[in-house]
Amino acid sequence: MGQDKIEDNVADKVSKTSLTRRTVLSGAAAIGLSTMARAQAPAEVKVGLIVPLSGIYTRPGQVMRMGAEMGIEHINAQGGIKSLGGAKMKLVVIDCGDTTEKAKNAAQRMVAQEPDLVAATGSYLSSFTLAVTEVTERAELPVLTLSYSDLLTDRGFKFIFQTAAPASVQSQLGLPELMKLAEKAAGKRPKTVAMLMDNTATSVATAKALKEKLFAQEGLQLVVEEVWTPPLSDATPLIQKVRSARPDLLLFMPNAISDAKLGLEKINEFGLGQGKIPTVSFSITIAEPDMLQSVTPEVVQGIMTIVANWGCKGHEDIIAELKAKYKEPWATQNVISTYGDMWLMKAALEKAGKANRLAVADAFRTLDDGPAKYYPGGQLKFDEKGRRVGAGVVIVQWQNGVPVTVFPSDLAQASPFWPKKS
Amino acid sequence: MRGWRSLLPILVFTALYAVVSLSVTNSYYQLVMTLVPVWAIFGLSWNLLSGYTGLISFGHAAFFGVGAYTVVLCQIHFDLSPWVTIPIAAVLGGIAGLLIGFPTFRLQGHYFALAMLAYPLAILYVFEWLGLQEVTLPIKRDNPIAYMQFADHRLYTLLALAMMLGTILLTRAVERSRFGMALLAIKQNEAAAEAAGINTLAWKLRAVTLSGAIAGAVGGFYAVVLLVVTPQSVFGMLVSAQALTVAMFGGVGTVWGPVIGSVILIPLAETLNAEAGSRFPGIQGVIYGLAIICVILLAPEGLFWKVRDFLRKRSAPPAAAKPGAPEAPVAAAAPAAPAPARAKRPTGTGDVVLEVRNLSRSFGGLKAVQDVSFKLRQNEILGIIGPNGAGKTTLFNLLNGFLRPGTGEILLDGREMSGRKPHELCEAGIGRTFQIMRPFLRMSISDNVVVGAYVRAKTDAEARKLAADAIARVGLSDIAERIAGELTTKELRLMELARALAGQPRILLLDETLAGLGHDEANEVVAVIQRLARDGMTIAIIEHTMQAMVRLVDSFLVLDHGAVIVEGEPEAVTRDSRVIEAYLGKKWGAHAPN
Repeated sequence: MGQDKIEDNVADKVSKTSLTRRTVLSGAAAIGLSTMARAQAPAEVKVGLIVPLSGIYTRPGQVMRMGAEMGIEHINAQGGIKSLGGAKMKLVVIDCGDTTEKAKNAAQRMVAQEPDLVAATGSYLSSFTLAVTEVTERAELPVLTLSYSDLLTDRGFKFIFQTAAPASVQSQLGLPELMKLAEKAAGKRPKTVAMLMDNTATSVATAKALKEKLFAQEGLQLVVEEVWTPPLSDATPLIQKVRSARPDLLLFMPNAISDAKLGLEKINEFGLGQGKIPTVSFSITIAEPDMLQSVTPEVVQGIMTIVANWGCKGHEDIIAELKAKYKEPWATQNVISTYGDMWLMKAALEKAGKANRLAVADAFRTLDDGPAKYYPGGQLKFDEKGRRVGAGVVIVQWQNGVPVTVFPSDLAQASPFWPKKS
Repeated sequence: MRGWRSLLPILVFTALYAVVSLSVTNSYYQLVMTLVPVWAIFGLSWNLLSGYTGLISFGHAAFFGVGAYTVVLCQIHFDLSPWVTIPIAAVLGGIAGLLIGFPTFRLQGHYFALAMLAYPLAILYVFEWLGLQEVTLPIKRDNPIAYMQFADHRLYTLLALAMMLGTILLTRAVERSRFGMALLAIKQNEAAAEAAGINTLAWKLRAVTLSGAIAGAVGGFYAVVLLVVTPQSVFGMLVSAQALTVAMFGGVGTVWGPVIGSVILIPLAETLNAEAGSRFPGIQGVIYGLAIICVILLAPEGLFWKVRDFLRKRSAPPAAAKPGAPEAPVAAAAPAAPAPARAKRPTGTGDVVLEVRNLSRSFGGLKAVQDVSFKLRQNEILGIIGPNGAGKTTLFNLLNGFLRPGTGEILLDGREMSGRKPHELCEAGIGRTFQIMRPFLRMSISDNVVVGAYVRAKTDAEARKLAADAIARVGLSDIAERIAGELTTKELRLMELARALAGQPRILLLDETLAGLGHDEANEVVAVIQRLARDGMTIAIIEHTMQAMVRLVDSFLVLDHGAVIVEGEPEAVTRDSRVIEAYLGKKWGAHAPN
């Protein structure tokens, strides 16, 4: 109740641009003196970013923050929220820590301490997003997420909006494209495949889809399947199996940089690298800038990964700014999706016409803003589950020390090459 | 009555906490208010096993996680409400405790701790393998109350508080009963506890079952609060560590410890996360860690004991101002130079209570006890003497069941008893004291002694009565409420004696009861033993000094290199050349009269 009043006030203030006596009175009653002081300043609309900024997932959290900050800066520089009289967007950053419990507590803190948030985005790991959205759903705060666990949008929630293609869809979209790519570049379709994966939720979900359906559909025979629990201590036995089986395709699915590094070094050491066996991953881990701190560009050359989003054609300005401002060599999913989330929030605010979380949530549900600019494929439109309509995937390939988008072709920064089996 | 009055602080605390929690309107602080009792309960559950028995468990997350997954999975698959499944979680947690405890209690000390560490980590991978990486409690939009889903978060706090109060009362009931006494005895010295008639394995299994049940229940409740369950969040290392942290910070082995630890640490961690975390991400962990390190360094047993010891010290001086007083009763009851109050009885009369036939035991090549035979008659005092390493204590260990004999028989009233467990032999009437005393330092004399009484007593009241009698018999009644840590060596020896007596043994095995005592003190203890014998007790006593013994015993059994070299009346034995040789060497043996 009080919430609505506050938000109505903000809307009133902005639309009338002058303070009426009623507004001051109800404003003071509802939100106290601090807000009254702010009423004189140019109105702003608060949006939340709840990501890990401490613990082992700090780095992705920081990168998401860069994307959000850039997004807000660009929106505000271009005149803010026009339907709210040019109100500026303001980012509230909340650290969700490195455990599910911390994430849940942080979400509770966010909804309790920041009652005037109209939307939020987060939280990198899908376990964290699950916990966070359990809280935000009850607080009726709309949350955008780049996490792609299917479960997130299978709970019948009304306040979560998933911009990425769900995990089950990603491999379904990615693998056929990969096969086409192989066929086109190498002249023949791969027939055998080896799969090395860790046992995190994402990998397990992807592997399930692959094994139950996609391998058969693409005529691939699984010849090696090995699972490890992160952290990987020694990759030798895994890679030995791959070497003796000599598959046409290697699916290597780590989710920790150290595991990725260990595996790739071993692949190289055994003489299977640099395209001897075409290697494909399913997460952004293998294309993180951190990889180059551990391995040389030659080791990763040609490796591909199927991801939910990546810096693509049309994002050149953002990537350049990211480089200049934050010294990030390229835009990963974390940057570009969070950047896009800010624009998506802006679109919803414009549509809602008031800074009210229920109105914004409603705007997300009914939004139909044409083709997505900062997410691959599909529309700026959500289905009844909260999944973005037509969300696609991106195939990224390491080329000369930079992971570049090679698929879909309209977003590709470079054309793919299929490593030739020697 | 004593119980109800000491309940007051707990009830006041709970009521205050409830009032404060009701006045909180911010949903985040409400959550923190809920988590405090949750972790306090988990700490109490840990405390019930590890705090009281001293067997450190690094794996309580195993029970916690079982409870959490029970609640979540039952709601997902069977649509069962947490109101029903939290009790089920408690049952499953208890079963898990029993299953884990049974094999693991074979281990002791660090090995136990490490083995416990392995369980939750192993289970964690099982749950990951089962594909239960992320499970959420389905939201119930209609009829939420039936599924423990409250819009008003303060209800969670009240529920958690009620569970905490229940756990505290349960813990206190355990602490004050023979259950708690048994656990404390195990903590101090498992062997001594077993010798005092406590079936240590049975009590430990009960403790781990109860502890597991509490952890399971609170784990289930935690799932309701957290809404999302992942293997890491309920089976992870950090969860097990949380139980240890709150209990060790607040105080181990007391109901207040985990509560104090939780009340301080949980809000501290959350405040740091909220206030420092957004400005200096990660700093919260550093400050939190430092705070814990400081407390562990300054108060290794936890805040509760530190504060209590401090308060005790402040109020102690008046009590310690009358140092002569405690000495008085014993001194008065027993004249410093014990008169030969008992008429020496001719040996070889009276019923044989204990008969040992050809008892042997080797450790590898060392024959610690070889072919020892003797008879202990009703109301006799047998002195077992011999130089260091003669096998005296090994003989006792065989008699009370710490060691299994290699060959030979031990007949108690004609019944073969060799190879029985110590607590069974204690029940059968063999009590013993130890060369190295292991008193329960924080407990009063009467609490120390009552541990030994449970083997005979059916009820707590009866045990108290037996303990009081035993204390009176050794002359410690006037200082019965003093803490063992404040006693002199002599008083400790007498207390040990009382603990053995409280079980109403028929035979008392005393292992170097006079060791470390001055001449006068030794005489006082001798006087007490003489009085016991006068009252009809059968006693076997080990000593390697002979002076005090000569006046005390009816007959001697002299051991050397594990074998009996002489047996007989004191006068004869002390003059025997073989005895003198054993003690002093060949050269002196030649000087012997015969």
